[in-house]
Amino acid sequence: MKQFKIRRILLERGAENDSLAQKILKKLPNIPIENVKPDELASREDIEEMDKESLRLIHFRGDFLKPCPGTRRYICCGYQILNVGINCPMDCSYCFLQSYINQPSFRIFTNLEDRLNSIGEIIDSSPDKIFRIGTGEFTDSLSLDYVTGWTDLLLPFFSNRKNCILELKTKTSFIKDLIESRYRKRIVVSWSLNTPRIIANEEHMSASLKSRILAAQECQKAGFVLAFHFDPLINYQGWADEYKETVHLLERYIDPESIIWISLGSFRYMPNLKWVIMKRFPETNIFNGEFVPGLDGKFRYFKPIRVEMYANLSEILKKWYNDLGIYLCMESDDVWRQSLGWSPENSANLSSYLDNRIRKLMAY
Amino acid sequence: MMKKELLKSTILNVDISDIDLKPGPFCMSFNFNLKPIKASIGKFGVLNPPYLLKKSDSNFIVVAGYRRLLSVKELGWKDILCQILPNDFSPFQALLLNLNDNLIHRKFNNIEKGMVLQRLIGFLKREEIVTNFMPILNIATNKQTLELFLGLEELEEEIKVSIAEERLSLRVAGFMRNIGRDDRLRINDLFTSLKWTFNQQWETIQWIIEIASREGRTIKEVIDDRHIIEVLNNDRMNNPQKVKAIVKILKARRFPSLLEAEKLFKKGLSNLSLPLGVKIIPPPFFEGIDYRLEIVFTKGQELKEELAYLYNLPGLEEVTDFWKGAEHR
Repeated sequence: MKQFKIRRILLERGAENDSLAQKILKKLPNIPIENVKPDELASREDIEEMDKESLRLIHFRGDFLKPCPGTRRYICCGYQILNVGINCPMDCSYCFLQSYINQPSFRIFTNLEDRLNSIGEIIDSSPDKIFRIGTGEFTDSLSLDYVTGWTDLLLPFFSNRKNCILELKTKTSFIKDLIESRYRKRIVVSWSLNTPRIIANEEHMSASLKSRILAAQECQKAGFVLAFHFDPLINYQGWADEYKETVHLLERYIDPESIIWISLGSFRYMPNLKWVIMKRFPETNIFNGEFVPGLDGKFRYFKPIRVEMYANLSEILKKWYNDLGIYLCMESDDVWRQSLGWSPENSANLSSYLDNRIRKLMAY
Repeated sequence: MMKKELLKSTILNVDISDIDLKPGPFCMSFNFNLKPIKASIGKFGVLNPPYLLKKSDSNFIVVAGYRRLLSVKELGWKDILCQILPNDFSPFQALLLNLNDNLIHRKFNNIEKGMVLQRLIGFLKREEIVTNFMPILNIATNKQTLELFLGLEELEEEIKVSIAEERLSLRVAGFMRNIGRDDRLRINDLFTSLKWTFNQQWETIQWIIEIASREGRTIKEVIDDRHIIEVLNNDRMNNPQKVKAIVKILKARRFPSLLEAEKLFKKGLSNLSLPLGVKIIPPPFFEGIDYRLEIVFTKGQELKEELAYLYNLPGLEEVTDFWKGAEHR
């Protein structure tokens, strides 16, 4: 897998003195730089293009640590997002960012280092709480690491805290910096997985399934705790066999005992996302399934279809190893019960379930 | 106060045969009816002379008054008094003159709005058109809508007529640009042969495209399905009934599991023999878990009796499971 090509840097006024901005500029000496004002914003049409060739360095004034925007009507895992930047080079056709982001370019928040102390204060002020923190919600955690050096910055910070874990979620095989680091404690490296067909047709710039699994294997051998996310599951003719094959490939290379959790989630989308996707990826087949409006306004597969997919996949996973910490992402209590045979009933209990996985697997 | 610039034109009697009456670079007329204008000219003559520009071949090109000129030609006039614009009058000025002439006395249809924007694109940047011209044409001011209107000219004549006559939704027409010629003409036929609301058109075109993609068929094959053709040829159905029946056929094909669940639920309810005035309503799309019971009554005693009857009704405890045996494909 090749590194992503950055063709220009947009340096926002206010970011030039941030330590991360200086490091990034040093790493990309030959890329043209344009100085821009924070209020120089793109039009709606340019946002839809997403501009995945520019890096915009921003002194971010918002909150770096935020709860995952789950919805009340479905059970949420209570994950916290560490907002290091927005936009992602993977260019997956189904990505929610296409209708979520309000500005194009890879937007990198260069005052991250300066704000780590305040993030530490938040974590330390609730010593009885376990913070499950991830950087993979609004971007891929590792895809831009060669430029941003996020792992160099974040691994020592989180490894040394008692009541948190940092999950780095990726679809790449960019693990060099991770492997070379000396930090393992409280770090979870996770891969988003899908069938080779979905990866080839819908996850345009990502690593192949095998490359991801081999990278995971390498990380596991190097002492990292792993997690996997089968999300979004896509329903198409032949899905059952192909997801089964995907799990079988995982079985060949990964020791299941140190997997902290595996999440399952089905493709869901806000109504306006469909039109952005149809415009950017007219050849996609992801809308061919039977989608109905969900309780949160997002379209989801008709419930029995979701239940069948979850039940099928979890059964295959359980046959592999019966203690994988399988959970559903944004699903209702009845879907949990029908597909997994149990339910945490609410978001707080799902959080506890995942916290207990941390206690069990990470010598907490 | 802005300085008024007078238009320096000269009046001249011009032979109709010397005027190029093909829709030229300033024309913004599509799908019009000459009858009323011919009637008016027949009674009162041409009140406002057309504006022309002289071409290099000594013929004239129409700047404004295209319909008036076609009308007088049809009325058999040999010549007409026209305003001749000076030779240095720029094409952009000519375009603006015609636009303003049209704006003061009529409404553009959507194809004509597309023609105006298409002609402006030769002279101005897209941003300028969005900001300064789309509002005066009563169009939402964004680039996406501009592209939608600019693309209309590429569509086939039949489809353009459907759009101009507001029988085909503009949004659907925009969507049609992404599909092949034969397929879009077939969709146009389907939507314009019966009276579909724009919302029905929008929902249906998506279903048709998704069915075609899922089943590996062409759009034409989906529409020419035996059941749809039977409905279209059914003489005992009126147009709204036909639309309803086609929507039902397509919905069943697009959402087989959901339809099966709805059917099973209905069947389960009908086996319960609920009293008249009592309804059980499932959650929308069976996504939630809350069902509703509706009882129509006029007296409290009546309500009590209904509730007692329902309490003892066998099978009521299974009402939330009626649909769950739905097989999905």
